Amino acid sequence: MPTLDHPVLAKALGDPGGSFAGTDLRITLPLTRTLLNEVLAARPSGTPIQELYIDPEVGNRFRVHLSANAPVIGRVSRRITLVPGPAVSFPDQPWLRLDITDGLKFLDKPLINLVQGQVERRLPRGVDVNSSHVRIHVPALLTHLGYQQLVPLIKELRLTSEANRLLLQLHLLATPPPPSEASIPAPNPLTP
Amino acid sequence: MHPVLQHLIATDFADLRGSYVEGQFAITDELVNLGLHELVSQLTSPSVKSEAPAAPPAKIPAATQELPNPKLLLQKVNVEHLRYRTETGRTVLEVKAGM
Repeated sequence: MPTLDHPVLAKALGDPGGSFAGTDLRITLPLTRTLLNEVLAARPSGTPIQELYIDPEVGNRFRVHLSANAPVIGRVSRRITLVPGPAVSFPDQPWLRLDITDGLKFLDKPLINLVQGQVERRLPRGVDVNSSHVRIHVPALLTHLGYQQLVPLIKELRLTSEANRLLLQLHLLATPPPPSEASIPAPNPLTP
Repeated sequence: MHPVLQHLIATDFADLRGSYVEGQFAITDELVNLGLHELVSQLTSPSVKSEAPAAPPAKIPAATQELPNPKLLLQKVNVEHLRYRTETGRTVLEVKAGM
C-alpha cells in the first residue's frame, strides 16, 4: 500500500490548489447515528465526560446526551438540543456554528466550563463553547490537523440534520488557471 | 485498526449508504507524470488473497480483518455518469456516483 511519501501524494497534498485546478465537486456524506456514536465512543478515555452520544432528528436539529463529573455540582447529565447554522464558506464565513436551543440550565456554568476546558486541552484554538452555541473555526481545525492547504478548496460546507443521520454537504472548488497567452486566439486583423 | 474503520468494515460500509458525489475531478499532467498510474495500480492491487466476491463480513472475526480490497468497495458504487477527457495540461474526470 502506498504511503504519504509517494511523490504523487506528496505533490497533491503540498499543492492541492494547483494539482487539482479545475476540480469542481459536490459531495454529500450522510453520517448515520450509528457511525457518529462509533466516532464518539472512540474518543480518549479517562476524561471527566463519561457519556457522550448523539441523536440526529428531523427538522434540522439533533440532541447530544452528555454525562460528566463537573466541579462543585458533581455528576450531571444533560440532553442538549443543537441546531446547525448557515453553511461555512471561505473566506467570508469560516465558522461552523451550532446553536444550543434547549437543555442547558441557568446554573450549568460549571458544566460549560468543564466542556470548554476539555475542548481547549484537546482541540486547537477556534473551537468555542458557551451557553448559547458551539462554534468551530474550520480553517483553524484543518490547519491543526495538518490540512491547511485544503482550506482554499472548500467553497462551501454545510451540516444539516435528518432523522437518524447528519448530512454533510461539501463543495470543493479549485479554480482553473487562466488560459496562457499562447492559447488565446489572436484578434482577426480583418475585423474592424 | 481504528475502531471506526473496523466498524465500517464489519457492517459492510452500510453507514456510508446515501453518499453521493457529482462534478468534475481534474488533475495536472505533472501529477500524472509523477507516477499516478503506478499509485492507482498499487491501490487497486488485491490486498486479500482470494479473488472471490467478498464473504459476508459478519462471519469474519474482527481480530483478523484486513483492509478491504478497493475493488470490492467499488462494487458498491453506483455510477450514473463517468466521462474522461483531456485538456491542455490536465486530465478531467466527470463523475456522478453514489453508494
